[in-house]
Amino acid sequence: MPDSKKNPGFAGITGDFKVTEAEIRGTEYVGVRAVDGGHASVSGTLPFQVASRGASDQPLFEGAHGERLEKILSRYEDPQGALLPALHLAHEIRGHLSPEAMDAVAERLGLSPAYVRGVASFYTMYNLQPLGRYLIQVCTNISCNLCGGDEVMRAFLKHTGIEPGEVSEDGLWTVIEVECLAACGFPTAVQINERYFENVRPEDVPAILDRLRKEAPEMGAPAAPTGSES
Amino acid sequence: MAYPFVHPDETRVLSKHFGEPEARTLAGWEARGGYQALRKAVEMGPAEIVSEVKDSGLRGRGGAGFPTGVKWSFMPQASGKPHYLLCNADESEPGTFKDRELIRWTPHQLIEGCLIGARAINVQHVYIYNRGEFFETTQILARAIEEAYEAGYIGKDILGSGVDIDITLHMGAGAYICGEETGLMNSLEGRRGEPRLKPPFPAAVGAFGRPTTINNVETLCAVPHIVTHGGEWYRQWGTEKSPGTKLFCVSGHVRKPGNYEVPLGFNFREFIYEMCGGPPEGRALKAVIPGGSSVPILRPEEIDIGMDYEAMAAAGTMLGCGSVIVMDETTDIVKQVRRMSDFYTHESCGQCTPCREGTAWASRILKRIEDGWGSEEDLDTLLELSENMAGKTICTFSDAAAAPIVSSVQKFRDDYLALIRRGENLAASA
Repeated sequence: MPDSKKNPGFAGITGDFKVTEAEIRGTEYVGVRAVDGGHASVSGTLPFQVASRGASDQPLFEGAHGERLEKILSRYEDPQGALLPALHLAHEIRGHLSPEAMDAVAERLGLSPAYVRGVASFYTMYNLQPLGRYLIQVCTNISCNLCGGDEVMRAFLKHTGIEPGEVSEDGLWTVIEVECLAACGFPTAVQINERYFENVRPEDVPAILDRLRKEAPEMGAPAAPTGSES
Repeated sequence: MAYPFVHPDETRVLSKHFGEPEARTLAGWEARGGYQALRKAVEMGPAEIVSEVKDSGLRGRGGAGFPTGVKWSFMPQASGKPHYLLCNADESEPGTFKDRELIRWTPHQLIEGCLIGARAINVQHVYIYNRGEFFETTQILARAIEEAYEAGYIGKDILGSGVDIDITLHMGAGAYICGEETGLMNSLEGRRGEPRLKPPFPAAVGAFGRPTTINNVETLCAVPHIVTHGGEWYRQWGTEKSPGTKLFCVSGHVRKPGNYEVPLGFNFREFIYEMCGGPPEGRALKAVIPGGSSVPILRPEEIDIGMDYEAMAAAGTMLGCGSVIVMDETTDIVKQVRRMSDFYTHESCGQCTPCREGTAWASRILKRIEDGWGSEEDLDTLLELSENMAGKTICTFSDAAAAPIVSSVQKFRDDYLALIRRGENLAASA
């Protein structure tokens, strides 16, 4: 991937682009947001990267995470409206949605546990089982498929040595197919945790995995809910 | 070279500042004339905004093409209860990637559009339902919303007008069906994203039981420009019934994929061959899907038409959300239709039997044909199945799932037959 000519945000043609990867992703502008979610209007979005994936046994919804949930709740006339953001938050803290986490959400929002499970199981982004540190989602829908999405999927499986949906032995990888990621002009689109990799060819896969392997230790332990930036 | 590919024949209104990182900051947006439309809208008052948008002829960009001003006029006057405006940013139609780019490059354009829309229909709270997968673009939009709150564009007493409008960014969680407006409302309410029966329509009973309007990102992004320059100005582009410009997302076998903004009614053939560079060197065009995977496929000889709602309908397809998927002669049509069908099987919410069962059966039959075990009767079965799926369910998902199957069997029957014959020959020689 570290190909200076190839702009990861842009379509498969190499060339001299004015904007950098950081500018496309907006990382300079956005920076890192606080664990308590920042302004209430946007507290339902993930201020932290899903990099903290990988389980934590802190109590759910205490400290800064609790503050974030209160902010989320303040934005809906019915607490049930906060269900999706609350599940996202629990997912972010725990790395997946365990029965215990879903029950905690149900209790906080005054819903029945069965109802919460019914909703959680409807949406594909709520993972009810633990995942690898990196969830690699390869788009194989039509636009990417026309440009070789299936081969990219096979390359990820080959180089991680796992079957779709499995967690690799070192705990690093889970690879699945995903439906259209809305990056069709930049095939093949691959989402790895929170980050999009666009314009991926099968031969790019080993370099992407290497890059992630190098980043993995820096991600460290899951963020502590202190309200500080980390 | 600017933003991926910019063609001189484009008419860049909404996409003018794509590729300019500084345009996404509040200061950068204000320097580009941002929030002037909001100032004007606050003075204009609701009735005048609605009338201006009606005059412009702006039509919903999410796919259905319903006139936006008319939709707004369905909202009741202030009833003392909360009213809601929902911005549909759950972009998930295969082939579509315009809303993500609009949010990524011009988040304040969307915020301004939401605020003006809210002002027009007396809404105090706007929810932007953003697709769950869009972590990166969501952070850009979130930062922009925080900036706009700090600057007093959102919140209490906007620009000293006495008008209060809040915006909340709400993340989806991975379900195509939540892009359907009633499914989106259910999802916002913390339910499974299953579409609702209409009537009651959202303007009467919407999110949380309140009067609600749902608009697409691109629709709302066009509103500030219309308020600034007037409805007549917007009509300088496009056709009588489809005025204005539209973003088209081009993907697949094309030399210059990306987003292009052109006036509605632009010639489709010229668009594909001139603007987007046509299929790769030395390969012929085989098929084009003009509006996302849910619309009927066109053959190369059918593309000498205008890119507007009426011309597409006359050609037996739909403009949809303007997602042009180009397929060249190397394409295995049956495989691609099977892949689309798998998508619909996965994403069917399961409420209605024709859709839940129909999508799954269609996928299995298509897979059988693809693998060489099909027969000619399977094609009749597919058409019969599709007929039982279309128009028989709560929402139009089932119709969307049937569209590529029916159009491909009708227009690319030879591709199906070739696979069927090959399988029969293999079986005979075994």
